[in-house]
Formats: sequence, C-alpha cells, structure tokens
Amino acid sequence: MARVLVADDASFMRQMIREIVEAEGHEVVGEASDGDEAVEEFKRLHPDVVTMDIVMPRRSGIDAVKGIMELDSSAKVVMCSALGQETLVQEALAAGALDFIVKPFKPDAVLATLAKVAEKE
Amino acid sequence: MDLAKYRAIFIEEATENFAEMSGALLELEKNPGSTESIDVVFRMAHSIKGMAASLGYDAVTDLAHRMEDRMQVVRAEGSAAPGPELSLLFRGLKALEDMVEVVKTSDDLPSPAPAELLAALSGPRGDVEPREATAAPVMEPPALPRHPQLGPAASEVPALEASQRSVDTPRPPPSVRVHTDTLDRFLSTVGEVILNTSQVRTAAAVYEATKAPDLAEGLDRMDRVVGELQRRALDLRTTPVLRILDPLPRVARELAERSGKRVEVELLGAELELDRSILDRLSDPLVHLLRNAVDHGVETPEARVAAGKSDVGRIVVEARREKDSIRISVSDDGAGVDLGRVKARAIEAGVIHRDLADDLPPEQIAAFIFHPGLSTRDEISEISGRGVGMDAVKASIESLGGSAQVVSDAGRGTVTSLLVPITAAVQRVLLLGLGDEIVALPISKVERVLEMRGDRIERSGSEAFAMVDDELVPVFDLADGLALQPNPGGELVHLVLTEVRGERVALLAERIDGQQQIYVKPVPELLSRKRALAGLTILGDGRPVFLVDLNQTV
Repeated sequence: MARVLVADDASFMRQMIREIVEAEGHEVVGEASDGDEAVEEFKRLHPDVVTMDIVMPRRSGIDAVKGIMELDSSAKVVMCSALGQETLVQEALAAGALDFIVKPFKPDAVLATLAKVAEKE
Repeated sequence: MDLAKYRAIFIEEATENFAEMSGALLELEKNPGSTESIDVVFRMAHSIKGMAASLGYDAVTDLAHRMEDRMQVVRAEGSAAPGPELSLLFRGLKALEDMVEVVKTSDDLPSPAPAELLAALSGPRGDVEPREATAAPVMEPPALPRHPQLGPAASEVPALEASQRSVDTPRPPPSVRVHTDTLDRFLSTVGEVILNTSQVRTAAAVYEATKAPDLAEGLDRMDRVVGELQRRALDLRTTPVLRILDPLPRVARELAERSGKRVEVELLGAELELDRSILDRLSDPLVHLLRNAVDHGVETPEARVAAGKSDVGRIVVEARREKDSIRISVSDDGAGVDLGRVKARAIEAGVIHRDLADDLPPEQIAAFIFHPGLSTRDEISEISGRGVGMDAVKASIESLGGSAQVVSDAGRGTVTSLLVPITAAVQRVLLLGLGDEIVALPISKVERVLEMRGDRIERSGSEAFAMVDDELVPVFDLADGLALQPNPGGELVHLVLTEVRGERVALLAERIDGQQQIYVKPVPELLSRKRALAGLTILGDGRPVFLVDLNQTV
C-alpha cells in the first residue's frame, strides 16, 4: 500500500482524495494547500506518491513538480487536472510528473492511476 | 461518498472563495493590471468549478468554468477592461453566490445562470455592453458572511506568482473551525465558572483563613486558573473588525452602480479586534450608514465635477481604538447633510419648536437625523428607504452600550460614527450602595471616587454642583435617577467622577461597596424595556445587581 501526499488548495478536494485512497487501504501521510507546502512536505515525508493540483497559490503545481524533481528525480507525482488544462498537463508531464487524473474524480480511475504509478520503477 | 458532508464543505469553501474573489475584483477596479488579483479570481473560479463538478452542480460548474476562461483571456491581455468587463465579472460572482445560496437553503439543484450572462462571459472582449440601469434586475447587496473566520481572513493572504514570492512571508499559524454555537456555549459556561468562583469565595469567607489554610490556598489557586481561563475566553470572543468591513466595498459598489454614481471605499483599522457578540450586531447598522453615504452623501458624477471634485466619491470606513471602546466611522466626501432641510423636518414633525431650533448649534441639528421619522429626502429612495432608519441604528448601538454621532460639513462631506465597547461579557465594576439596593458601574467609566461633606454640594433649584479640582461639576443623585429612595444625605457623601456624553459629572452614592469582576448577563426579557439597565449579574451572596447605563440615567 502506498504512502500518499495530497496537494490541493481546496480542502474539499483533499478530503475527497483522502477518502478515495484510504478506502483502498493506502495511507495519506500529509496534505499541502499550496505549491510551496507541497515541496516542503515532500522533503519531510518522502511519500511514495504525490497527488498534485495544477492551480494553486504561491507556487503552481507545475513549479512544485519541478521543485520535487530537483530533490528526488525518481519521485512519483500524479497531476490533478480539470477539463481544458491539457496543455498544462503536458507541461507537468514534461517536468517529471508520471500521470494525471481528471476532476471530478472517479474513484476507480484515481485508484487505477495510483496503483499504476506506485508500481513503476 | 457522504454527500451531505461534501455539500457542507462546498458551501463553506465556496463562501470563502467568493470573499476572496470579491476582494480581488474590487482591487482590479482600482488597478486593472494587478496580476495578483487576476490570478486570485482565476484560481477561485477554478476551485469552485472543481468542487461543483464533483457534486453534480452543473449550473455552478458551467458558470465558474466560463469565469475561469474569461480570466484566462484577461490574464493573456495583461489587464481587466475597467467598467463593463468588471461589471460582467461582478455579475458572474453574484450569480455564483446566488446558486450556492440555493444549495445552502434547499435541496434543489441551482438553475443555470441567465443565458445572456453566460454568452457575455464567453463572448469577445469588446462585446460587453454596459447594462441600462432601467433594465437591470434589482440586486440585493450581497449577504454578509454569517460564520466567523477564525484566524486571519483568507483575503489577507494574497497569492503570489512564483517569481514574485517573497521569502519572508510568514505562514499563519494553523487554525481550526469551531461552530459559533459551540463557542457561545463554551463562553457562557466560562462565565458561570467565574460567577461560581466568587460565590464559593463568599461562602468560604465564614471560615477564618487560619482555621482552614488549605481552603484559602486552594481558593487562591482557583482564582489564578479562573483568571487565566477568563483571559483566554475573552480572546476567543474577539474577532477582527475585518469580518464585517470586508463586504462593504462591494455593497457600496452595487448601490452606487444602481444610482449612477461612482464610489471607492477604503477600509482602515480592519485588524482591530472586537467582541464577536458586539461585532455581529454592528454589521446591519454599518451597512445602513454606508447606504446613507452612497445615497445621500456622495453626489452624482456630474454634480461632483461641477463642484470641483473628482467624479468618484470617496468613502472611508475606519475602525479606531478609543480607550475601552472602538469607534467605527463612515466618512464620505459628498455634499454633507442639508441642515436647513433637517431643521425644517424637525420643526414640521414637532420634534422641536421653531424658536428653539434657530438657536441650536449645527451638530445638534445634524443629530436629528437619528430621530424616528425624520428622513431628509422628500422622497425616500428605493435603496435607503428600505428596512431600518437611522433611529434604529442609534437604538441598536445604544443597546450595546455604545453611541452614534454625526458630523457634517456642508459641501465637504459627512462623518457618521458608532462608538462601541470592546468587550461586553466580563467587566470589572464598582458596586454602589443606594439604600437597600446595589448597582454596578463599569470601572472603565470611573475617573475616581471622592468623599465629601454633604454641605459642600451646592444646590440651586433642582440642580446640584460640587467643586472638584477647581471646577464646578454637576452632581446627579443616582438613587433619584433610578427612581429609588432618594439619598438621605448624611454628613459624608460619596461622589463618583465619571463622564457622560463627553461631560464630566459626579454621581452621588450612599455607599461604595467595593470592586468586583462580574460576568454580565443580558437583562431579562421582562425588564429589557428599562433602558437604564445595561445588564445583570448575580453577586456571590446570590443577590441580583444591575449594571447601570449612565447614558440613559443621567
């Protein structure tokens, strides 16, 4: 089971992801509400997987991915995107994110993506 | 998934998002190129879209999505087009707020926003026509937030672009949300603890300390802990004034838009803190003062330009600390109160006789606007005419132990202000004995207490005076004012020096029964019409004591 860090500025979304992944037996080890916090919490917690919102205050999700990659190039980050953010998702994948999930979250899709990413070497 | 839970989070979070969005839009009106504000509006719309989509509120999702797209265009252009484009965004925000209100108050799904609004948001930039005032649907001012924001308000933590981020921005300490009901019950319980402590102390006084040293020591310890508990409880009761000032710029903007005026609102001192129970009761009066400033104070742009002023009216809402009180003032740079008209109305309504009216100083004439039934406009405008009048504002402020003033300068503007105490619940009081009765007076109002021989009080007719510090000070017999048995007037009398409406006065009391920290409860319903009574407490020995409102007594 994976240790997950959830980064999203909306506590609504954080709770939703938490509920979905915890129901499957994963552990949410931390939450971050902006890009800076996401990088700091990554440094502190070394989670197996990070779910990263794109639009966040202080530092965008994409910049946070870059920050995390500088710390650990093998970090596993899944972007959370909404419809219409395809270009940004491409940018995030180029920056080192491994995959993405689309809002509104469908539990099956979230869990499948998480499992796929967690198994990657 | 527990839908009810997510719905509650959605309502709460969206409401915060709206407040931030509103603040950012107001900022864009002043500074259309503020990338920070553009970013905030974009981010809030995006956030609302994501939540709404998860809950299946398609109407909200669609509108928020279009707002987000619009902001993306604005971001690409580098600035928001002032005027029509901002009005459009404000309308979008208002429509979102209405939809969330539907979610909050019913089980219905919100209905889609007007097609015209959706089309305009997604339309080309130049295609935004200003609405005609006559065709505009009547908009209510936005609802004031009803739940407290503990910790710093979201709008105080601006989002910064990565490149602009300053490293030393302190992160606010973590906060938790507490339901106001829970907090109120907690605070009321703390009040009871304070009350009981002093009752226990009184009851224990029958044992001499030497006979029961453990008891005395225990009581001292309990006093210290209860004191600490009380200080913490008082901290919990206070909330930044920002909470009620925050929505005002937008209220003003909407009111002005409807009457073809332009205003800019500046908030000062919003970080000052005030007892929450007082704060909550200030927001309606403040909205009323603001309406007055927009409707009756600020002139039309044409009239302003003709008078040599900027076409944008300026309203400053300022909170300032004054001793144990906070003064919140609303100043406009409009035409000022028409004193001639106020005087005419006062005479017409029989409030004052014509001959006396001519001798009144301007400030007393201006004060007539607080009198019931006197409205200075021949025709009450649709906006200000609704709901409370200035007399209701005054009454509600006085019931909080405060006062309301107006100062007007013809052609230059009007300042209306509300003076209210910072804390209401726990007060240190001076207990005054009047015959068999004891009344309490807030210590903060007492300058000092004098003992004086009864014959040193000079009487002339029904008035009495005493020489204090080489100054003749009027003396009031409190017993008389409260319709108790008049003071028998022994050899020595006690004079309590205090201030009433800015004048130094001496209160005559038979005895001084000491000081005490009391927890003030509201006056029971049955007695609530006795305006001289500001509150009630129960002494250690179980006796009820009323807190006196000097403004209503002297």
